Amino acid sequence: MVLARFMKRHGWRYLPGVLFLVVNAWISVLPARVLGDVIDEMSLPVIDTAKVYQGILYLVLAALAIFLTRYLWRTFIMGNARRLETFMRRELFVHFQSLSMDFYNHSATGDLIAYAINDIGAVRQTFGPALALSINGVVTSLVSILSMSGGVNGSLTLYSLLPVPVLIVLVVLMGGQVRARFRRVQEAFAAVSGRVNENINGIRVIKAYAQEDNELGRFEGLNRDMLSTNVAMVKASSAMGPMVGFIFGISFTISLIYGGSLLRAGQISLGDFVAFNGYLTLIVNPVQSIARVINLLSRGLASLRRYNQVLAAPPMVVESIENAHEGPLKGGIQVKDLSFRYPYAPDFALRGLSFRLEPGKTLGILGHTGSGKTTLCNLLLKLYNPPEGSVFYDGADIHQIQLDTLREGIGYVPQDNFLFSASIRENIRFFDDLVGDEAVVTAAKQADIYQNIIAFPNGFDTTVGERGVTLSGGQKQRISIARALVKRPPILILDDALSAVDAQTEYDILNSLRGFFEGGTSGIIVAHRISALMHCDEIIVLDEGRVVERGSHEQLMQKGGFYAETAQKQADNQEGGEG
Amino acid sequence: MRKGSMTARLWPFLRPQLGLLLLCCAMVLVVNLSELAKPYILEIVIDRYLVAGRPDNGLDSVWGMGLAFLLCAGLSSGLNVLEAVAVNRMGQSVLMDIRRMVFRHIQHMPMRILDRFSSGRLITRATNDVETLNELFSDVLVNLFKDIFMLIGIVVTMLMMDWQLALLAFTGVPFVFLVTFIVRGKLRRNFVVVKALISRINGFFAENISGMRLVQIFRRERQKLKEFDEMNDAYYASTLVQVRMNSFMRPVMEVINALVIALLVWFGCRSIGLNASGLEIGVLYAFTNYIRQFFEPINDLAEKYATIQSAVVSTERIYELLDDKANLEDLNQGEPIAARPQGKIEFQHVWFAYDDVNFVLRDVSFTIQAGQSAAFVGATGAGKTTIISLVSRFYEIQKGKILLDGVDISTLSKRTLRRHIAVVLQDVFLFSGTIAENVRLGDEEISDREIDEALRLTCAAEFIKELPGGMDYPVTERGSTFSAGQRQLLSFARAIAHDPAVFVLDEATASIDTKTEQLIQQSVKNLSVGRTMIIIAHRLSTIRDCDTIFVMSAGRIVESGNHDDLMAQNGLYAALQSKA
Repeated sequence: MVLARFMKRHGWRYLPGVLFLVVNAWISVLPARVLGDVIDEMSLPVIDTAKVYQGILYLVLAALAIFLTRYLWRTFIMGNARRLETFMRRELFVHFQSLSMDFYNHSATGDLIAYAINDIGAVRQTFGPALALSINGVVTSLVSILSMSGGVNGSLTLYSLLPVPVLIVLVVLMGGQVRARFRRVQEAFAAVSGRVNENINGIRVIKAYAQEDNELGRFEGLNRDMLSTNVAMVKASSAMGPMVGFIFGISFTISLIYGGSLLRAGQISLGDFVAFNGYLTLIVNPVQSIARVINLLSRGLASLRRYNQVLAAPPMVVESIENAHEGPLKGGIQVKDLSFRYPYAPDFALRGLSFRLEPGKTLGILGHTGSGKTTLCNLLLKLYNPPEGSVFYDGADIHQIQLDTLREGIGYVPQDNFLFSASIRENIRFFDDLVGDEAVVTAAKQADIYQNIIAFPNGFDTTVGERGVTLSGGQKQRISIARALVKRPPILILDDALSAVDAQTEYDILNSLRGFFEGGTSGIIVAHRISALMHCDEIIVLDEGRVVERGSHEQLMQKGGFYAETAQKQADNQEGGEG
Repeated sequence: MRKGSMTARLWPFLRPQLGLLLLCCAMVLVVNLSELAKPYILEIVIDRYLVAGRPDNGLDSVWGMGLAFLLCAGLSSGLNVLEAVAVNRMGQSVLMDIRRMVFRHIQHMPMRILDRFSSGRLITRATNDVETLNELFSDVLVNLFKDIFMLIGIVVTMLMMDWQLALLAFTGVPFVFLVTFIVRGKLRRNFVVVKALISRINGFFAENISGMRLVQIFRRERQKLKEFDEMNDAYYASTLVQVRMNSFMRPVMEVINALVIALLVWFGCRSIGLNASGLEIGVLYAFTNYIRQFFEPINDLAEKYATIQSAVVSTERIYELLDDKANLEDLNQGEPIAARPQGKIEFQHVWFAYDDVNFVLRDVSFTIQAGQSAAFVGATGAGKTTIISLVSRFYEIQKGKILLDGVDISTLSKRTLRRHIAVVLQDVFLFSGTIAENVRLGDEEISDREIDEALRLTCAAEFIKELPGGMDYPVTERGSTFSAGQRQLLSFARAIAHDPAVFVLDEATASIDTKTEQLIQQSVKNLSVGRTMIIIAHRLSTIRDCDTIFVMSAGRIVESGNHDDLMAQNGLYAALQSKA
């Protein structure tokens, strides 16, 4: 568990913090007594000024000690809570990096991720302010009560504190009420956010149908919910402070009346009376903060649970232990009778798939959506674990190859053209400083994107993504092709990567890749368009995870199966430019 | 923006509630008076009954004073709750107004402006930024009146009880302000840094989660972790600064508080000892209480400073958005279109640039007769898609004229213009709700029967009849349960249900299975009956039957005619055809 790991390494930092906190709470109680003594001294007919001055000196010293200890405990405890926050966020990030695609594709986990990121703040509050408040409250109250009963008068203490247990129960109950209402506020806020989110993402449709006013109407109901839930919550939460104030008012009244009579009976001194009031004042804040502590604690623990849930998801792919294979890949691939079923999926995604690809050759794959093309790519990249003895590179089982060696050896172009918000250069060399500018330029040329890049004012330093320039789908796709080419990998996989570019660009890219393949790179091209596949050395047609046709373009055309049909249809539907 | 102007900004919202506001002030006054009375009662008890030993006489007794104390406590607590609830109700209704204003503003922002904002930023304005103001109201403003009145009240009471002692007590005040002022400035600067860092970290998380597959495939985990560590460490360092400053600020207030009390005791001791001013112990004790009460609101305000800070930032950001009023679209401005138009579309020497500099359309002229179909083809960036946005006036053109039935569309009301021109975008957007709601899209005049008809005509009925509940089948966020083709059909149904005179279609590029593709073709055919049809084509096969095909290149129309004409011309169109 993260918390245990953190405590093992950094937990000791809480110790001085807690120590100073306890000392601080203890010293904070002292001035009340000193003030009482001073007043006792001053109410004597003849004042011993030296004693009073000594009292004043104590007051000043106590003030400085309180300052110092408070500064120290806050720095230690709050600082360590911040350290915990940083630590947890890093652990989460590292864990995210190890999680398989299966985790990310699970939609419910998407929410978990968002929560986990936000939850870290709540955990920090538990191990910072909540921790400090509770220790401080307990110590201050204990020392105060002991000083009251021991130093002043037992029965006065008892009677004055009589309302406090009732108050604590009320505070706890009301805190629960506030939390429940706060949850409703959060739900209302989530509803408003959801509405706004959808509205803004669909704003073009709204404008196209002039639905602005109607949207306002739909928004207004949720907007009103925000108002009513908030007011309901405030009714509960704003009653808390005054309620504490009033019930302590009763305590003070008791101390006034009963303490006054004790004083007149000579059982306590004026200084005792004053000190007693001072002690009583010190208990107000801890009691008042009970609700806050409970709130922070319950939120923090819920958050920690969610966080741990995310962290408990095991990484799907594990690094090979025995690395029989040495050196980089050469480009030979063999798939033997590969069947694969995704975890939790009812059906097999691949059934008995076999093929062999010699270095420098290309394999084309055609098939419907869901025929198993992307699954095959996932397995070749070991994003999921294929069964032992089914996938081989240069004759070595995939499980005997280090993940680094494997993935370094494969240039992969995905279907979706995701770019990071960074410069084009960073996106092509993909944050690897070892890749030189020359390689970046060459890759850009090979991917037929060079001309577009240098047309930007900042060339390769142009930022893309959220805060940068907007690229067309085709441009993004070509950058992601350049990203795959930049390291001149022995194997290149295009996972339906050409469907977003127009026919002309597809032609240009394939043309420049041809040189790549002739230079000894093995290629796997997944595509919908025959034009992208026809030059492959071998083409397989997948259907429901099975190979239904295989051969060269000519062979398949002659065969007159799905491939030939598709080719015919596409010849009829000659495709045009891209949008 | 300064805090002062934030108040000025928020004031118009509060003005209508002036009566309630005054009532709240009155309540605050009573609350404060009773709070002030409490130490005074203590003073009386000590000096009159305990020190001077005055005998009890009915209510003129310690008992009486006790009851008075309890009364004050009750009064202050009760009114305090009432006031807090009232102020909050006010604040919440202000927030509701602001939220509505922001939302309405966003609805009426023209595309030209919307393009400049990322959706995330806009969403933040309407939600999180308003929420930050909420904290300002519920955390700060509720106590603000009370705190300020309290400060004044304490000053007056202290001066009245013993002006010398009071002046002595006030010597602490400049120090309080000095500390607050210095630390506050630093805290503010640091706060900005912390906030910027955390939003960068969260953005980094989001981006890396979206791109994790790539990071893993390319084995860039280490590089990304390094990048993350840099941010995370910088965040930690700046939060530590924040922790230290906060650790300093609060205790230093208490030191000043304690020192002032020590000073008072010293002075009291001297004057009692010299018997010069006749200072009474009760007064001294009351003063120590007043000073605590005096420092509390100041501490409070200092503590709430972060909230005030972020509220200022949020107000700034909200008003940055709201202030840009000049560019808002007025849907009703211009002549309304009374009857259903014929649907003749004409471009006359249209020049258009999204950014006023790089022209996307250059001197484009064409005419599409009512009821005819026209297609635009050309390479990426030729300007095809831009035409859609101009026909329904999402953008204003720089030069030239666009006419609907011979009337310049810039003189027509956008509401009615858009009512009669249906645009189906490449990326179909479905709203959460039911299928029927997505077709009707808020137009209650469209009956269920018409929806049924629209779904039938667009062949969407084919797959909807398989769904439980039919047209009442719920659409999840963005319609993720439907395929791209099905979404397309639904958006056709949406268009046809609104019976537009002009139908504009930006063909989807996404791969759609053959069966759905056939449905779409049929659907488009059905749609075109009795309507002007404009297709932005990405597949040349779908437009062969169009009456006119316009071939675009670099923002100009370079060829036009029907399929056979263009093929005969053997120009760009023929070249595009041969490429596939």
